[in-house]
Amino acid sequence: MAGHQDARYSATPSSSQWMSLSPGLGSPYTMIGTPPSEEWCMELLRLIKECGNHVAASNMPNANIMLEQISRLASAYGSPIQRIASYCIEAFAERMLRTKLPGLYNAFNSTKISLVSEENVAQRLFYNVCPFIKVAYLITNQAIIEAMEGEKRVHIIDLYSFEPEQWIDLLHTFKARPEGPPCLKITGVHDQRVVLEQMAVRLMAEASKLEISFHFIPIVSKLENVDTESFCVNAGEAIAISSAFQLHSLLAFDEEVPRRISPVASKRPLRKFLEEVSPDFTSPSSILSPSFSPKMRNFLSFLRRLSPKVMVIAEQEANHNGFSFTERVKEALDFYAPLFDCLDSIRSITPMERQMIEKMIFGEEIKNIIACEGVERKERHEKLEKWILRLEQVGFGWVKLSYYNIIHARKYLQNYGNDGYNIKEEEDGYVVFCWNRCPLFSISAWQFGRQK
Amino acid sequence: MLENMAEEALPNGFVENPIAGSNPPASKKKRNQPGNPDPEAEVIALSPKTLMATNRFLCEICGKGFQRDQNLQLHRRGHNLPWKLKQRTSKEIRKRVYVCPEKSCVHHHASRALGDLTGIKKHFCRKHGEKKWKCEKCAKRYAVQSDWKAHSKTCGTREYRCDCGTIFSRRDSFITHRAFCDALAEETARLNAASNMNNAVANNINYHFMGTPLGPSMAQHFSSIFKPISSNDEAINQTTRGLSLWMGQGSSQESIGNNNLHGIHQLGSVSSGTIFGDPLVSCSNPPPSDYQLNWVFGTKLSSSNAEELTASNSLPLTDVKEAGTQLLSVPSLYSTQHQSHQTPSANMSATALLQKAAQIGVTTTDPSFLGSFGLKCSDSQVRDGNKLCGVLYGTSNPILSTNIGNDVENLAGDLLQVHPAKRRHTMNEESGGGGQTRDFLGVGVQTICHPSSINGWI
Repeated sequence: MAGHQDARYSATPSSSQWMSLSPGLGSPYTMIGTPPSEEWCMELLRLIKECGNHVAASNMPNANIMLEQISRLASAYGSPIQRIASYCIEAFAERMLRTKLPGLYNAFNSTKISLVSEENVAQRLFYNVCPFIKVAYLITNQAIIEAMEGEKRVHIIDLYSFEPEQWIDLLHTFKARPEGPPCLKITGVHDQRVVLEQMAVRLMAEASKLEISFHFIPIVSKLENVDTESFCVNAGEAIAISSAFQLHSLLAFDEEVPRRISPVASKRPLRKFLEEVSPDFTSPSSILSPSFSPKMRNFLSFLRRLSPKVMVIAEQEANHNGFSFTERVKEALDFYAPLFDCLDSIRSITPMERQMIEKMIFGEEIKNIIACEGVERKERHEKLEKWILRLEQVGFGWVKLSYYNIIHARKYLQNYGNDGYNIKEEEDGYVVFCWNRCPLFSISAWQFGRQK
Repeated sequence: MLENMAEEALPNGFVENPIAGSNPPASKKKRNQPGNPDPEAEVIALSPKTLMATNRFLCEICGKGFQRDQNLQLHRRGHNLPWKLKQRTSKEIRKRVYVCPEKSCVHHHASRALGDLTGIKKHFCRKHGEKKWKCEKCAKRYAVQSDWKAHSKTCGTREYRCDCGTIFSRRDSFITHRAFCDALAEETARLNAASNMNNAVANNINYHFMGTPLGPSMAQHFSSIFKPISSNDEAINQTTRGLSLWMGQGSSQESIGNNNLHGIHQLGSVSSGTIFGDPLVSCSNPPPSDYQLNWVFGTKLSSSNAEELTASNSLPLTDVKEAGTQLLSVPSLYSTQHQSHQTPSANMSATALLQKAAQIGVTTTDPSFLGSFGLKCSDSQVRDGNKLCGVLYGTSNPILSTNIGNDVENLAGDLLQVHPAKRRHTMNEESGGGGQTRDFLGVGVQTICHPSSINGWI
């Protein structure tokens, strides 16, 4: 396969000559429908990493050349590796535009209409087709049920109120409790009023059908801008907090602040710089630590002041919040590759739907991770170990997820008939949802105060 | 008390009755239950050190250690030293029981003493000791070597498998789990039958309390609301089967195809203002299929004709690529799907490719490669590129390089990623390699996704 393309150059394709492709010879296929060979894919990945280096160095000419190369090989319609490559280089391109040619970037954006309804559609499609979110809801609900045993007044704070199914299910389960349902209040946060209105309508209808005393309090706001005063929490309510893939957006902060005192600017040796800035640069409160975010700390403190009986947090299990750009690129590729593969393996959706999910959900996240910086970079996923540090610092304590909870979730997963999904249970009582042994996201439960 | 230790109680019948088994059955000693000692017995309390001590009896000539005085004495004979085998001095055999030195233990009290020295040693190790012995197959840990040996013999030899696929080595845990599983399966089955009658969920469910609170009732609700496989409504099947075929899904999972189109139905409902259609309720309302298809495949496409949709879908694809590379973007839906379904082998999955790339060290910068493009890169740039590679990829230990510029931030990032996770060192291995163990330079072969130990796997 390599030979025929390089016949003009040499008998054996060395790595340098392999990619000296003149325009038009970019096709990896010998014939239509044949998937690209492994060597070809290796080369593609190598190119991407090269390009990433140039983008990291803000080297416009080199990056431009490489992007042109790769764009001939990557495609949103090819094999999974090609698709993920195409979203990756789109993110590279956006990053270069933002940093080097901001005028161009803003001009492009001035006519961009963000189709919110389409995003919702893609989200709902993803929700229905992949079990990730549903399983997170399942486990959250069960944890809430267990924690609220015996409680008469329950107040749930939903940090991203998008899918009423989650709470409808909880309503039914509460109704079936031996001691009867509690008075239930749900506070939902979402940035679109319409979504919250529909949520309210649906939930109120269901609750009245089941004769459960129910209130729904909408808060129209993005989570990172939410005003904690707008939560009305009354005394005597047992609080539960549900956070599905939302908390990381609070980590976005303006990184220009530490940059101004970077050693490059001050021309001091690294060691001295670190000592001056913070004696312990590994602590989460240090300025260099990726978890330094006043928004996050304030919000978590607020949550803790509510004294929740249980807080269930589902977060992507990946490190997309490092300082190093190329590291982030690598992490992003490694994290989203299983997701692309997983989506590929689902036979029940059309390619068009798959592309919609890939573009509007994965692609947007990849773009955010790679192309954005500072406050705009919202997809700051971090691994559970960092979350643990952060939460414990604020004063939360572990709660083990119950055996029944996990078994139930696994049983539910079997309905999908897909062997790749797996819920891995960790010793400390949290779970990691995996696809083909690649960890995707973790679900852990917390409570106010430390566990005995 | 310690002197008493020196002469351990001999097992019954050792010295006095060398012929084994000659005790008449009538005088067979009745055994007390463990932890309920004979009230007449002599209680001995040993310190942990004494308890754990092995080889307390040392030969002065050669230093060899023995667990029993008798053995030492016999050994001393070999050195031509005077030796004396102590016999049981007292007429009566006073039964001895031992207490556990650990204060918080229930066996610390004389009333719950254990009757056997070996027993108390094992108990102390098991409950209050460190588990030093580890089974290779399943990562179970043991404090007592004999326990470990016994386990290794049976580990993996006998397995119980539940219908849901979970594997157990113990019969009792298997039975417990199966009880759970059966309950869930029953409720799911009942719900499937119930929903087929096209009734709203709330009206149709019998609430069943089986003694385990919230257990089975959970099952029915979750299954009903979150069901991925929707009902087998015949009407839906008819419309969707045709549509599925058109979309290239000749596969056997048509029930999932149903669900997919229910998803579409919900999508379509967005425009009509009712997003939150209950998937089960919607079974009774077959969606207007043409309308849905239009909506999904792009509102710009006005035609509802199948062929036209296929053809017009090719437009955006060809626009993106140059003519020469059109081979990449396979124009029709059919072949795209066809192609993607033709790559089932692990080799072609994106994850596997990335792993492979990591292993073979794909990121080595080749200066000649850059040169072949006629790029006028200065030497320093290439060098920096190389350095970037070295610092950023595959640093499992912090590299204290003195590179300035970009590398400072990268360095900080690396160091932070290696920060001591207090109790999470096991998690680092199991969390898919974190940011630390990727090794693109091929220095060490590390997989990106670490398969975890079996303990936490299923």
